[in-house]
Amino acid sequence: MRKRAAAAAATASLSVLAIGWLVGTPAIASLQDTLGGTATDATVSAAASAPVASTPAAAATATATAAPAATATPTPTVTPAAAGITGTFTGSVVATRFGNMQVSVTLADGTITDVTALQLTDKDSRSVQISNRAAPVLKAEVLKAQSAAVANVSGATYTTQGYLTSLQAALDAAGF
Amino acid sequence: MSLDTRPLLLQQRLPETTHIRRRPAPRVNPNYPRRMRLADTLQVLCIVSVALAVALFLSSGGAARFGTLADTLTSIGIVTGLVGTDLLLVMLLLAARLPAIDRAFGHDSAMALHQSLGKPALYLLFAHAVFLIIGYALSSGVNVFAETWSMLTGMPDMLLAFIALGLLVVVVVTSLVIVRHRLPYEVWHIVHLLSYVAVLAALPHMLTAGTVLVAGSPQWYYWLALYVGVAGSVVVYRVVLPIVRSLRSRLVVAGVDREAPGVVSIRLSGRKLHHLQASAGQFFIWRFWTPGQWWQAHPFSLSAAPAHNSLRVTVRALGDGSTDLASVPVGTRVSFEGPYGLFTDRARTSPRIVLVAAGIGVAPIRALLETATFAPGQATVLLRSHSVADSYLVEEIAELCRLRGAEFRIITGTRAPGAHSWLPGDAVNARISLNTLVPLLSESDVYICGPRRWTDEVVRDARSAGLPTQQIHFERFDW
Repeated sequence: MRKRAAAAAATASLSVLAIGWLVGTPAIASLQDTLGGTATDATVSAAASAPVASTPAAAATATATAAPAATATPTPTVTPAAAGITGTFTGSVVATRFGNMQVSVTLADGTITDVTALQLTDKDSRSVQISNRAAPVLKAEVLKAQSAAVANVSGATYTTQGYLTSLQAALDAAGF
Repeated sequence: MSLDTRPLLLQQRLPETTHIRRRPAPRVNPNYPRRMRLADTLQVLCIVSVALAVALFLSSGGAARFGTLADTLTSIGIVTGLVGTDLLLVMLLLAARLPAIDRAFGHDSAMALHQSLGKPALYLLFAHAVFLIIGYALSSGVNVFAETWSMLTGMPDMLLAFIALGLLVVVVVTSLVIVRHRLPYEVWHIVHLLSYVAVLAALPHMLTAGTVLVAGSPQWYYWLALYVGVAGSVVVYRVVLPIVRSLRSRLVVAGVDREAPGVVSIRLSGRKLHHLQASAGQFFIWRFWTPGQWWQAHPFSLSAAPAHNSLRVTVRALGDGSTDLASVPVGTRVSFEGPYGLFTDRARTSPRIVLVAAGIGVAPIRALLETATFAPGQATVLLRSHSVADSYLVEEIAELCRLRGAEFRIITGTRAPGAHSWLPGDAVNARISLNTLVPLLSESDVYICGPRRWTDEVVRDARSAGLPTQQIHFERFDW
């Protein structure tokens, strides 16, 4: 290989690597922002491709104490009356083989009104697909059963386990 | 030893394929800079494709995935997989007989690079599997066997991927020098074709089990384009083009001439052969359609400059099939792949030319002598053999040398045992070398064709005489 060709190859390769790295960096940053900010859409974290575990919200709740995420969600205003518990509670981060899982649950007057997936399994495109399919099913089941005791979604065992474990932690924290 | 310069005045007529062309005074070959630019471009593309493979990983946010041991192992696994696959595709392209690659490097250099990439590619793909299994096992807290099992059963297309890796192991093992020499060429070849199956079988898991190649992303398009491009090249240049050319040319055996015991020239006739744009010094991979022969393909060089309606090869009983070729009937249909190789006048860089041949390597040398560009007195032909009787096509070469004004020497005698030289023992003792045999060697292109180790020795001699690489041309035919 001639010197000129070697120099051209080195320059071109380094440029390609730099471009790849630059393309990749905002992807990481925006993902962190998304996960750290208000996660209201169940598909947000599932749509992003890179698993990120060290976001502020996740870090705050990763201790499995299931404290409400201060930055992300409204501070739960627990009303002591018979009306029951109201507020949004974030569950712990549950690590699975296909990525981290985390959900938050919204309670109104002692009723589960919403479950939001903050992180879904995203280790590969297949598990993103699986999570996207399983999450709405699980949400519907939970709203119907009003508890974390719902059946496994077949073909999405890891997602189900992670989802329900995180949900249970959130419910425990809420004293539900 | 005899350094026999024979001014033979033979009255024997040359075969009809011979067209003596007196060329004008030699010029610096304009092809060379162009060829080197093409070679540079191809080399840069090859290296950049490896960088692109790594960039694919980085662009999916891969740089952030080195936080934990499990993540690091997984990331290394992904990168080795991408680079290994890229090398595998490069290997397929090198073997795809792309005209640009043949023009820039020649078939045998391309195949040598193909061969040298085999093991690195396999090691990378092995590392890919091992690192990912360990990385996944660590992150899910199970042992590697359980992890492998769960991958095989739980992840889509993973079974295919494991099969692909297994096939590649078989392909590489059968290509190791030790193993390959014990296998019939056809067995090795069929096993080698499994690499196409392996490359295809590995594709689905790349698309379904990774975060890098997400469907619809630019990365996904690039990777698929790479696959489609390589597959297209293989289909077009290895399958379609040879079939079309064979059908168009309608080659048949026109005659078989016995040159020496075990050596025959096969004359082939066809039509519109100039469309092939073959050059003297190139070879084809031939298939003779007789009941016992059709399944064997033979790489033979042209032993005469190609003509519009005829070609000629001269062959010796080397492999199993070459023996029967002496009795191939006239009229036998012949199909072919080619022409291939850069052992031609197109590779010239210097005004003078030296043609060095041993054994049946004389065939392309004979063809080159016919059409190579040189003025009378600027060419030297050196034939090396044990005795004068072992040299083939001698009369033809002597006649061509006489007509074109080339110096002709037959160098006979046995090599000293254990000596590293292409010359006979007494020539070595007399300090004879390429430099002393050939006038103005430094202004010459040296073309060498013969058995592998002998060729290496001539190349070594030429290099030690200070000849630069672009003036040394050789082709290895014993493969």
